[in-house]
Amino acid sequence: MQALYRFFKSVRLAVVLLLVITALSILATLIPQGQEATFYFQNYPPALARLVTALGFTSFFQSWLFLIPCALFFVNLAVCTVDRIAGRLRRGTRRRYGPDLIHVGLLVLIVGALFTTWGRREGTFYLGKGDSIDLPLGYRLRLLDFVDQRYEDGRPRDWVSTVEASRQDRVVVASYPIEVNRPLRLRGLRIYQTNFTREEVALLRDESGQLAAIHGGEGFRWENSLLVFTGIEAERAVFERWEGHTLAEELRRAPSQPIGQYTIIELSSRELTGLKAVKDPGFVPVIAALVLVAAGLSLTFIQKRKDKET
Amino acid sequence: MGYTLSQLLAVIAFALLALAAVAQVVYLLRRERRLDPFSHYLLAAASALLLAGIVERSVRIRFVAVTNTFESLVFFAGVTALVLFLYRLLAGERLLPLVAFGGTVISLALLAIASSPAIPKEVLPPIPALQSYWLVLHVTLSFIGESFFIVSFVAAVLYLASRDEEQKKTLDRLTYTAIGIGYPIFTAGALIFGAVWAQAAWGSYWSWDPKETWALITWLVYTAFLHTRLVKKLRGRLSAILSIVGFAFTVFTFFGVNYLLSGLHSYG
Repeated sequence: MQALYRFFKSVRLAVVLLLVITALSILATLIPQGQEATFYFQNYPPALARLVTALGFTSFFQSWLFLIPCALFFVNLAVCTVDRIAGRLRRGTRRRYGPDLIHVGLLVLIVGALFTTWGRREGTFYLGKGDSIDLPLGYRLRLLDFVDQRYEDGRPRDWVSTVEASRQDRVVVASYPIEVNRPLRLRGLRIYQTNFTREEVALLRDESGQLAAIHGGEGFRWENSLLVFTGIEAERAVFERWEGHTLAEELRRAPSQPIGQYTIIELSSRELTGLKAVKDPGFVPVIAALVLVAAGLSLTFIQKRKDKET
Repeated sequence: MGYTLSQLLAVIAFALLALAAVAQVVYLLRRERRLDPFSHYLLAAASALLLAGIVERSVRIRFVAVTNTFESLVFFAGVTALVLFLYRLLAGERLLPLVAFGGTVISLALLAIASSPAIPKEVLPPIPALQSYWLVLHVTLSFIGESFFIVSFVAAVLYLASRDEEQKKTLDRLTYTAIGIGYPIFTAGALIFGAVWAQAAWGSYWSWDPKETWALITWLVYTAFLHTRLVKKLRGRLSAILSIVGFAFTVFTFFGVNYLLSGLHSYG
C-alpha cells in the first residue's frame, strides 16, 4: 500500500503521464475522428486500419487508450495534492496554496468532464414565427420573432430569435432575444442560436385530386426519372430531373403548371431559426474548476513574485 | 486594391524591426558583445505602430480587431516587440543580446507571414460567432502568453548551443521565468477563456476539435516543463528541449492546424 502511495506521489510519474497523453493526443489529431470503420480501410493500408479500429483511435478521446492514462493521471494528481497539503499541515511552514488550488481545480475539471461525457444531451430544432416546441424538463418554447441581420456585403451580422419560455403552462420568461453568444439560460437547460434556414414548400395535386406538400430537398419518382424540388426562385418552383446519377435537366414551374404526375397548387416559403437545446450536468463543476485554476494560477504568480522580492 | 492604414503602419513597423535586428547584429559582432544602446526603442516604436493599426481597425469595425488571421499576426508581432522592449527595460543586462535578436527575428517573421497574399487584409466586422468579449480575451491573452514562449524558446535554443556555464545558468533561468509568466496567461487565454467562449457560442466548452486538442497538447508540454523543474535530474537539458518542443507546438497550433487539419477554428 505504501509502495503504491509512493509510486503515485511521484512528480516523475506526472511528467511521464503528461508526455504519454501528449504523444497519444498528437496521434489522434492526425487520424480523422468519428468516421465509419470502412473509411479507415479505404484510406489506410489494411494492417494500419486494423490497428486504428482495434485500438479505438476512431474515437480516441472516448477510448480506453486515452481514458486509462487519464485515470492514472487523476490518481497521481489526487495523491500529489493530498500529500502536498498534508505535508504542509504537518510542518506548517511554507504557504504556497496556488499550486494546490490549480491541482484541486484540475481534479474537479476531470470529474466535471465525466459528468458531461455521460450526462450531456443536445438537440437542434427549427422554428418559424409563432411555432412552439416541447423540450425536456417540461419546458415549452415559442418563437415570437426572428431577425436575420446582414452587413452591406451580405455576410451575416446577427441572428436574433425572440422567444417565450414556459414550464408546466406557467410562463417563466416572457420574452428573451437569443443571439449567437447570448443563450437563454433556463434552470437545467440552455438554448443557443445556431443558424437559420428558409423552409420552402410546394403544394401539389395529383390526378385524383389528392393534395401533397413537398419540402425543399425532397423528391418523387416520375416515369424513369427522379424529380427533386430544390427551392423557389422568382415565384417559380425549381425542380431537378435526375436519370440515375446524371442531372438531365432543370425545370421551372409556376403555380397551376404541371410537374410530372402533379399540378402545382401553391408555393410558399418562410424563415426558420435553428436553435439548440443543451442539458449539461458537467457545466457547473467545470466552470467552478476553471475559476479555481485561474485563481490558483494568479496566486502562484503573486507568491512567486513576493518570494523573489524578499 | 488600395492599402489600409494598418497595412501601411505594419510596413513601417517592419522596417523599424529590420533596423533593430541590424543594430543588434552589428553589436553582436563586436568583440565585447555589449547590448546596443538603442534597438529596444525601435522595438517599442514598431510595437506602438502595430498596436495603433489594431486600434484603428477596431474603431472602424466597432469591435476589438482580433478577428482574422491578419489582425492576429499583427497583434502577435506587436506584443512580441513590446515584451522584448519591456524585458530590456526591466531586466536590463539579463536579457542577453542574442535573445533580443532571436525575438526580433521572430517578430519580423510574423509580419512577413501577415504580408502573404493568401491572408486577406480587408477591414471587415466579425460574423455573429466572433462577436464576444470572451473571444477577445481568448485571443489577446493567448498571444500575450505566447510572446513569452518566444523568449523562452530563444533562450532554450541558446542554452543548448552555449558552452559557457555562467551563461547557461542565465539562459536556463530566463527560459524558466519567461514560461513562468507566459504559462498562466496562456492557460487563461487559450484554455479557460477559450472554453468559456465556446460554451457561450456553441453550448459546449470542449469539442476535441484539432485546434483545441493542439492547444491542450501545447499546454501539457509546458506543464511537463514546469514539473521538470521540481525534479533535479530532469532539469537543464530536458527542460530546454521541452521549452523548444512547446514553442514548436505553439506555432503548429496557430498555423499548422489551420492548413493541415480541418476543424472549427477556420477564422484564425
